[in-house]
Amino acid sequence: MRLVIASGKGGVGKSMLASALAMLFAEDKKVVAVDCDADAPNLAIWLGGVKKWDKTILVSTSAKPEFDFKKCNGCSLCVKNCRFEALQLAQGKPKLNPFLCEGCGACEVICPLKVIKLKPVQNGEIKIKKTKYNFPLVSGQLYPGESGSGKVVTEIKKEAEKFAHEVMIIDSAPGTGCPVIASLQGANFAILITEPTPSGFSDLKRVLEVVNHFKVPYRIVVNKWDINKNLSQKIEKWAGRKFLGKISFDKEIFKAIANLKPILETNLKAKREIKEIFNKLAT
Amino acid sequence: MKKIVITGGKGGVGKSTVAILFADKLVRENKKVILCDCDVECPNDYLLLGQKLAKPIEKVFAEFPKLIKKKCKKCGLCAKTCRSNAIFQAPGKYPVFIKDLCSACGACWIVCPYGAIGPQKEETGQIFTNRVKNNFWLVTGMAKPGLEETGPVVTEVKKFALKFAEKNKVNVTLFDTAPGIHCPVVSALLNCDLAYCVTEPTPMGAYDLNLILDLCQKLKVPAKVILNQADLGDKRKIEKIAKKFKTKVEKEIPYSRKLVEAYSKGKLLNFRL
Repeated sequence: MRLVIASGKGGVGKSMLASALAMLFAEDKKVVAVDCDADAPNLAIWLGGVKKWDKTILVSTSAKPEFDFKKCNGCSLCVKNCRFEALQLAQGKPKLNPFLCEGCGACEVICPLKVIKLKPVQNGEIKIKKTKYNFPLVSGQLYPGESGSGKVVTEIKKEAEKFAHEVMIIDSAPGTGCPVIASLQGANFAILITEPTPSGFSDLKRVLEVVNHFKVPYRIVVNKWDINKNLSQKIEKWAGRKFLGKISFDKEIFKAIANLKPILETNLKAKREIKEIFNKLAT
Repeated sequence: MKKIVITGGKGGVGKSTVAILFADKLVRENKKVILCDCDVECPNDYLLLGQKLAKPIEKVFAEFPKLIKKKCKKCGLCAKTCRSNAIFQAPGKYPVFIKDLCSACGACWIVCPYGAIGPQKEETGQIFTNRVKNNFWLVTGMAKPGLEETGPVVTEVKKFALKFAEKNKVNVTLFDTAPGIHCPVVSALLNCDLAYCVTEPTPMGAYDLNLILDLCQKLKVPAKVILNQADLGDKRKIEKIAKKFKTKVEKEIPYSRKLVEAYSKGKLLNFRL
């Protein structure tokens, strides 16, 4: 089973919940935990931190154009056909802004004089660690300034599939764009976590549109439910039978994670609430 | 006119809160301000300001491929060219375009020798404006949920905000970004004068701050750090990372349950930074 934790809004507790669920499932099942937030991967921290990774695999899922200017007559077709505004004409020749380049190759195919060739770039890495909780963690990192976040996520998932497992826990990026789409592809189940704020609720509805598009069955968890009990109740009612559970707000969680203490190794109320959520999920 | 970005790497660290309180502070100092919400996947500034989005003032479009079957010779060149794996073609069959993976780059119809792929214009996002109060405008960009490539929507929203700023003789435009470090964040940061990177004193905040400061450095946007909930953890790690990138913690915002509650009720403007 591939279980995705998604949220739309950032900082609502995806990685906290994902880490705890991975640890709970691992008590009697083969688990692989996957951090698919390649932009800002934090799942390792919620699992107590990783000092040294067992394995690092370099990823090259992006490419950038290189120009053979001797052949270029400055026709500017490449500039006009770049949908990402990554090419500009400077002194009669195309000039690349690498940070806007998506590596799509439209410039390469439009150039009538074959001036442009796309060269692969290393845009990220995959990192693997056998955790002390008896399951592997597969994480990754998109390099700052590189493109292809979604494609890095797809590579991370491929690597994770190589581990024999019954449950794959996928911690998704926030938002609704390419890394989230890549996380949700092929998922069997999703837990959508939110907080009772106007932002949290609005973003939940937006990510739900993507989840429904992929027809992934889902349940909803409200984190920090007691910071706005009215709105929390409203979300619970709105979720109906999709409602899975709620977790209390506690400043102490902040302090626990500052000491790299996984939530399940504390005695906080949130730990009991997450266990309840797990028990409901398991049935 | 100054172009200032509020970003941070990690989600939920208070980017929007800082952006709104900062905008309000500038307005009270008699500046004309635009707050431009560039988190087009999950725009929230309007909610925190208690505003409603009326009709979009502008729409954003992109061109996606559409097959013209009677012209297609099933040669497979389009599928071979697509670097997003968004074209699937079984042997001897027509190509199928997978929208979820398509970045709307146009390489497929450029390469098709038979003119069998037509670009089809589709709406990918919307732009809204609100007048929050005198000298304080909000520009909101919103991408269609499920849109693969949201960077170009950010670029358009930014262009709109800058035109709007010029027309209204605005002093400062603040760009509030999405979390993360990929294309929508890059598009928001490019060509800006300054970036405030909001973070929190946790190991996650520290890790993600390192990434966003790295990105700002690569994009040559000067960056400063704002530490939210500063008293809840160990700020030395944050200061160390700031120092590594030759910058500093410009402001610390202490934890406040009242601020958390004001945020959760969409009443941020009762607060002062």
